[in-house]
Parts: sequence; structure tokens; C-alpha cells
Amino acid sequence: MTNLIKQIIDDLLKPFLADFKEMPLWIKWGAVVMTSIAFMILAFVFRARSEGVYNDKPRIHFIQNMDNQPKFVSQEANAMFNDGRGMRPKVEGTVARNEMTGDTHFFMGIVDEAWATTFPDQITVDRPLLDRGQGRFNIFCSPCHGAGGFGDGVIHHRAQRLVETGVNGTTWVAPKNLHEDMIAAQPVGQIFNTITNGIRTMAAHGSQIPVADRWAIVAYIEALQLSQNADASTVPNADSLPRVDEGSNK
Amino acid sequence: MTESRFTFPQWTNLALPAAIVIGMTAPLYMAIVVAYGFSPQATDVGYMPEQPIPFSHQMHAGELGLDCRYCHNTVEYTQHAAIPPTETCMNCHAQIHPQSDKIQPLFESYETGMPIEWVRVHDLPQYSYFNHSAHVTRGVSCVSCHGRVDTMEVVYQHEPLSMGWCLECHRDPDPHIRNPDLVTQLEWGLDMSAAERLENSALWRTHNDLQPSEDCSTCHR
Repeated sequence: MTNLIKQIIDDLLKPFLADFKEMPLWIKWGAVVMTSIAFMILAFVFRARSEGVYNDKPRIHFIQNMDNQPKFVSQEANAMFNDGRGMRPKVEGTVARNEMTGDTHFFMGIVDEAWATTFPDQITVDRPLLDRGQGRFNIFCSPCHGAGGFGDGVIHHRAQRLVETGVNGTTWVAPKNLHEDMIAAQPVGQIFNTITNGIRTMAAHGSQIPVADRWAIVAYIEALQLSQNADASTVPNADSLPRVDEGSNK
Repeated sequence: MTESRFTFPQWTNLALPAAIVIGMTAPLYMAIVVAYGFSPQATDVGYMPEQPIPFSHQMHAGELGLDCRYCHNTVEYTQHAAIPPTETCMNCHAQIHPQSDKIQPLFESYETGMPIEWVRVHDLPQYSYFNHSAHVTRGVSCVSCHGRVDTMEVVYQHEPLSMGWCLECHRDPDPHIRNPDLVTQLEWGLDMSAAERLENSALWRTHNDLQPSEDCSTCHR
């Protein structure tokens, strides 16, 4: 056994070391540098794949594969136009398809130059519409007006705090309580118009919410208002419901 | 002088063993570098560009709880989940923080009509077709592809958005399906066990009869 090891050392390792000793220095250093670079690339790859490592430099795609084509996609910049937009704004005075405003009832909430008091023919007030309206109200209205419409949304609270501390010139007019008599008395067309075009400090939301959804929100606001002005006579089978004894609660 | 012949120096005996070692390790090394280094997990995930306004999704979507769709309102109707116009920001910021230095580009844009040059974070290759509305209205939450944006101070790419990654979900969508009404509630389902979550997903998948396509032409049209 020891003979074998000795033989291996004598026949293989010693000539190898002898050869290696003769090798020019620049080749040895070259090998060291190349190996280091190889490991540095691996380390770089490992770092790039690690969680919590962020990079704000533009992404490099080694294999392009037509990832970027000579066309303009939504909201892409286009240096050809002065405003830099690839998507062109609507030319003033034109009406896009589906935006025909001749139907003033549906599109503007106006009938015979007065606020519409009924919903337009395109809208059927039923449970799905109210559900839709509730969803849309919670997205677009509740931040300021609150989920119940009392004018106590989260943005209102935050803005009030900012006004109290006087941060960055914040001013705030409290959002309306939708249950106020003045608003509860408004015809549906007027509420629709307020959503579409805004009023006082409330911005217009017409561009954010499609027409049918705005009517759904109007329907839901009506339902909210109704809920705050309900009495026992409007509840079906009110007599059969359990009642709270008002005296025993105290 | 003429009779001196060129002889290879002794150390060139090492050339053959060295060639064998390099020839065996180099292809393996290249395969590792290409497979791991060229994949979107390395090149794209974690991309966090600096935006012209330091808009915090953590503040707006997380703390204030604004629905994703208040700003990205086209997501349910169209292919593209639009970056909101300056007008949408001004709904609130006409009154809130109007003198903040950070949002002066907003007012500049509002006055001049020039768009704010937001930097696109999630960018699919242009030979692939992706429709936001098709996913969102069928109960695939924003969080499945964009991560917990409501906790991100600065938005970054959370998922690889590679073809293999898309197909993973198209083959087994169950972990990603929920009630379409809850798609923008990014924290939904975190308090459920994996089994409960899958049960709920399967319920909505059956309810909405979801059969995601794996055809080439679905995404490459």
C-alpha cells in the first residue's frame, strides 16, 4: 500500500510539480485572476437573486427576443409630440364613441332643462345595481364621505389632523354629510351631476367612473339616505320582529 | 543559430490536463450562469426605479386604505391598469399638502398639462398579451402578481412575470382565486390556513367556471 502511494507520488505528483514550477508567472497569475472573476460573477448572480435586494438601474435583458418592439403601448412616452405622450388626448370639440351626450338624462342627469327626478331608461334599479353602487361608493366616495355617508371618511380625518398641525399649507372643507336635509332633498339628476362634475372643493369624478356606475352610486346614496330616515312603518312585518325594551338598557 | 530547433518547454505538459479540467467545468459553469443569471428572477425581480414623485403606496393604499381602483380605475374594464392622470392626484392634493416640496412636480404638471414621467415598474415583453380586466374580474387578486403593494414605500417588482411563472398559475390557479369582490384587499386570506384558502379558491373557481387556457395563442396573439 505504501509502495503504491510512493509510486503515485514519484510518477505523477513530482513531475507535475516540476512542470508547474517551470510555468511562466503570467500564466499562473492569469489563472488566479480568471478563477476569481468566475466566482465574482457567481456571487453577483446570487446577490441579484436574493430576497430584499433592490435595484433602481434599468433592467438588462441579455436575450432581447423582441421584448421591446417599435410600437407604442398604453401610456408610453413618444418624443414626437410636444407633450411627450404616445396616447393622444381627445381633440377638443370631438365626441368619442359611447360618449354621445345627446341623451341628457343618461349622460347629464338633466330632463327638460331641470334635474332628473327619475333614473334613466338604461338603468334598472334592482338589487344588483345597489350592490354595484355600494362597491363603487366604497371605492370612490367613502374615502371622504365615509362608508355610511356621514362625511367622516379616513381622508377627512387625516386632513383634519394636518390642518391642526399646519403641515404644508393644507386646507380642508369637511365633506358633506349625505344625510343632511339639503342633500337628501336633491333629485337624483343633481347628485349624478355632482359626481360627474364635482362641486365646490369636491373634484369631478366623471372621468374616473363610467356613466352607468355613477347612476349605480346615485341609487346606493338614495338607499343610504332612506336607511337613515326609516321608521317602523317602512319595515315589512315590523310587528313580528323582536323589539328592544328601551327602558331595560340603562 | 540555424540548427537551434524549437522545443516545447517542459511546463506545456500541463496543457492537456488543464484543457480537460477547463473543458469539463466551463460548460457547467456557463449553464449555471445562464440559467440563474439570465432568468427574470435575477434581472427583473427587485427592480425599484426612482419615481419623479416619492409616492408611497404604503401610505395611500396601506395606511389610508384607499382602494387600488380609486386611482387605477381602468383595471376592471381594460387590458391596461392605467397610471392615474394628474387630475386624480389633484382630487385630494389640491387641498392636502399643497405646499409640500415633494409634490411640486404634480402642480407643475397640472398647470402645464405635461404628463408626470412615472417610471414603469412592471413591464411585460411586447410579444405577450396580458389583460388586467380578464384576471381581476375573475378573482385573481392584485397581490398575486404585484405582491403586498400596500406595504411598499417604493414599489418594486415582486414576481418574475416570466412565462413559466404565468403558466404555473394557469395550470393550477387554485391558490390564487378568490371572491372577485375582494381582489383589492391585499391582506385577505392571510389569517386562513392553507387548506381553508384552497377550499375557498376551489369554491370560487367552480362558481365562476374558471378554466384558464394554456394555448400559445392566448398570450401570443
